[in-house]
Amino acid sequence: MQLAINIAVLAAIYALIACGYVLIYRVSRVLNLAHGELMMLSAYLLLTTASLFSKNPLIAIAAAIFLSLCVGVLVYLFLMRRMTGEMVLAAVLTTVALGVLLRGLVVLVWSAQQQNPAQALGWVNYSIPVFGGRISAAGAALIITTALVYAGLFLFLRFSRYGIRMRAAGQNPLLAAQRGISLHAIYALAWGLSTLTGALAGILISLDSGLDSTMVLIGLKAFPAALVGGLDSLVGALIGSLIIAAAEVLMIYYVDALLSDVVPFLVLILMLVVRPWGLFGTREELDRV
Amino acid sequence: MLKRSLIVTAALVGLTGAATAQDSYNIGLTGALTGPAAGTYAPAVDGLRIYIDKVNAAGGVNGKKINLILLDDSAQPARAAANATRLVTDDKVVLLLNASLSSTYAPVVGESQKANVPLIFASSVCPKDVYPPANALQFCTTAFAANYDSRAVLDFVKATAKEPVKLGLSAMAIPISRGEIDYAEELSKTLGMTPVSKQIIPPPTPDYTPFATLIKDAGANWTYSWAPWVTQVRTLEGLRRLGWTGDYVAWAHLEAENELARLKDGKFFVVGANSLFQDDLPIHNEIAAAAKAAKSQYPVNQMTEGWIAGMVIEAALKGAGWPANAEKVTASLSNLKVDLKGLRGGELQWTKDNHFRTKQYYRVYRWDEAKGAIVRVRDWAPFDVK
Amino acid sequence: MSSREPRASGYFRSSYDQGLRLIETRMQWTALMLFLAALGTFPFIATSFQLDLACQVFLAAIGSIALMLLTGYAGQVSLGHAGLIAAGAFTAGILFKEFGAAFWITIPAAAVVGALIGLIFGLPSLRLRGLYLAVSTLALHFIVVYLGGEYETKRGFSTGIMIDAPRIGDLLIRDRKIWYFVLLAFAAVSLLISLNLLRSRTGRAWAAIRSHETIAEALGIGVPAHKLLAFVISSSMTAVAGALFAYYRGFVSVEAFSLFLSIQYVAMIIIGGMGSLLGAILGAIFVTLLPYMIEYAVGFLPNARSYAGMLAAFNYAAFGIVMILFLVFEPQGLVGIWRRVQNYFLLWPFKQKPLGGSRK
Repeated sequence: MQLAINIAVLAAIYALIACGYVLIYRVSRVLNLAHGELMMLSAYLLLTTASLFSKNPLIAIAAAIFLSLCVGVLVYLFLMRRMTGEMVLAAVLTTVALGVLLRGLVVLVWSAQQQNPAQALGWVNYSIPVFGGRISAAGAALIITTALVYAGLFLFLRFSRYGIRMRAAGQNPLLAAQRGISLHAIYALAWGLSTLTGALAGILISLDSGLDSTMVLIGLKAFPAALVGGLDSLVGALIGSLIIAAAEVLMIYYVDALLSDVVPFLVLILMLVVRPWGLFGTREELDRV
Repeated sequence: MLKRSLIVTAALVGLTGAATAQDSYNIGLTGALTGPAAGTYAPAVDGLRIYIDKVNAAGGVNGKKINLILLDDSAQPARAAANATRLVTDDKVVLLLNASLSSTYAPVVGESQKANVPLIFASSVCPKDVYPPANALQFCTTAFAANYDSRAVLDFVKATAKEPVKLGLSAMAIPISRGEIDYAEELSKTLGMTPVSKQIIPPPTPDYTPFATLIKDAGANWTYSWAPWVTQVRTLEGLRRLGWTGDYVAWAHLEAENELARLKDGKFFVVGANSLFQDDLPIHNEIAAAAKAAKSQYPVNQMTEGWIAGMVIEAALKGAGWPANAEKVTASLSNLKVDLKGLRGGELQWTKDNHFRTKQYYRVYRWDEAKGAIVRVRDWAPFDVK
Repeated sequence: MSSREPRASGYFRSSYDQGLRLIETRMQWTALMLFLAALGTFPFIATSFQLDLACQVFLAAIGSIALMLLTGYAGQVSLGHAGLIAAGAFTAGILFKEFGAAFWITIPAAAVVGALIGLIFGLPSLRLRGLYLAVSTLALHFIVVYLGGEYETKRGFSTGIMIDAPRIGDLLIRDRKIWYFVLLAFAAVSLLISLNLLRSRTGRAWAAIRSHETIAEALGIGVPAHKLLAFVISSSMTAVAGALFAYYRGFVSVEAFSLFLSIQYVAMIIIGGMGSLLGAILGAIFVTLLPYMIEYAVGFLPNARSYAGMLAAFNYAAFGIVMILFLVFEPQGLVGIWRRVQNYFLLWPFKQKPLGGSRK
């Protein structure tokens, strides 16, 4: 039972991060390799808001999440907007550069020391018994949040006006623009939503297990999950996360813990060889002369 | 491209270090001042900086100031190599210091050997070469010591445990930590304990629970971890979350004092060679006052390592006299006795072939819920270093 | 290298043969000789630290030229460059430790290993494009580093594998001045190989593949073979750079080959300017020296020592900003700036090339 819980928590972590990759890729075909760094930034923002609103942990978290949303929109408006229409690769490399910049800034502002947002909020991470196993409060919150986020995104994309516009922009930007959809607004929204989900992930992970710059690597490890499921499919991201998390935990249990670090990337290579567009992704168009 | 020479020369000429005036003792440090590993090293280096500033303010050593050059290598071997080269050739230092991950040792040691400049490892893991028979140029002031630490820890476990010990072990997937835990596994068998589970945990692990589950399910009643603080404490948190109630023992890194108070876990023991600020010795107040005056951004109780390195450097330079060169400093280091005023269990002594210390002392602390404070579980236990 | 157009001085080509020449005018010969003379005298006037920087630049240049061939010319993106450097370094380290192999064995061995890895990791490129390819090379990095780490731990070289200074005949390559010339020679050879490849059939095939794969295929170019060739040549050169790095530093350790190193190499070719060997070299110089320049500049600030603890963070931030600035404002890189300056003087007092003029 504990095995299943461990897999579920890890899968929730990966899924919550992976949907950030998917949102941006689906709408603008840009792979945001700074997602891990943005996620880390949100967790550090929580440290600051926690010291501002030391009486109200929930307000502190809400403030941090709101700030992250703003960061995402600003990143699009001031940086990625200029890369719209450029070569996709240039845009991806811009996100890499953004990541490097953020890593530097985070250390400059908050120092490289290991931090504990949970302590800053005055929270204790209780453990809860479930189905013959145990789960930490933050772990349970992670699973619930992931479920809510995915349900919310699903409803948003399917039924809301902006969600439909987002899907339209992703399918055919030219037609969408001609139909009167403001592409820049849609892209900015996608970036905002993506950093928002990233912020949720970053904050919950840091509440569960502390915060330092290795969080970036966690963001990177969630990327294979997004790709295995298909970079433009939310369902895919969910299933992909489950696969990667299961592979990783089973590797720790039954083979060699050291391999668990490499296993997501092995699965990824396997997937790239067999089905590069992922389990649920759309097959990219072939070249035409 | 034919004119790139202009750019190269312009850039390089611009970089020429100003010739350093030889009216001070030049010593240079390359360390992980920033980057992922910095949490362990930067506070100690800041402690060293504050100590040297204090010495200089009081008139220096033998009437001369100490010029401490700090270079950052972010724990990257290539940067450390370039730093060491620069310190030795351009800054003409008489003493090198390393405060970084073990992967930077090889290049720095290489420079030190090439230029015959002594090298002190301060707050970084002591390499094999400083134990007897020691390499002529390598010295180490750092508290923790491969093999001796596990000996002290298991000795403590043996003395404390009331039931037969089933030992869980946890290491980070870096060579130094894995090596020590492997050693502990072997040693525990000779002491009549049963090692039941050994977990080697890759550094960027989002969730430690799977590893903790394995240790718990193997039925461990004691768990020992010798790894960077993150791994030690997150393994413990993982175990406790699963409802494990055994005893946990780990190395007292710089962070120990703050973290014991944060975790408030009565069965979490830390074994260390430095006295904690909890002991409230006069020297501790001295460090606290100096750090406050220097407006350091780091917690005072993480500066002990740097302070000890500073005391050793001061004593060594005093012994080397003026004008000093690398050779005189090496000679002075190889025959050194420094009174650490209670920061450790006894004085630090270096001889011709022991550059670690002749006696290593260990203390054990834990959090006491009833008192609401850290308490000493076991006082200085000496181990001879041979 | 020099542009393929005739110079504005009035030198015109009168045969196809002339178009293929690397050095076309007497002016270029003189400049080259002056440049070589400057390179030759540099080690005798530089301090040891500056020599070290120069050696680092040469090592980086070999790697960035290799990456430029792959990405800038053949259009295949790679984010696993650090993995290949690690593979070369570990080949040299393992052969030296296990078999005591000499320099003249380990370097070719590294080239062969690099070529093999290149072949294997070129295979996905037959199916994958752009982004997906970049991701598969990223996976390569993780796998190589894992294997290297396992070797280090299993054999007990926890602080890295130490390698003795190499020896060629009676000459021990230990002194930095000798290293300078050795590395310069390797860099020059890599540059020459690349120049020759690029002005041959292979180079033109790569350019066709980069512009449009389907059209290239329709033109009768063997696309898979040429893609694999690009991977093999580039990886082989990179692995040699890795082996040289191992010898130059005297040690190998996995920590030296972080993902950030791959990013740095990508940054070199972006900052230098895509699709230009000169760009690869300029980028290597720029990226290698940037942290030292920042350090030097910070040294002028009052109370410099209290910033020491923040330098790497500064470096990171500055590196990110520089990369963004180039991507957004100067996609042509340093070479683009260089060409614009050149054009400015060539066309002076005019601002633009005459439309449809005599030079057309």
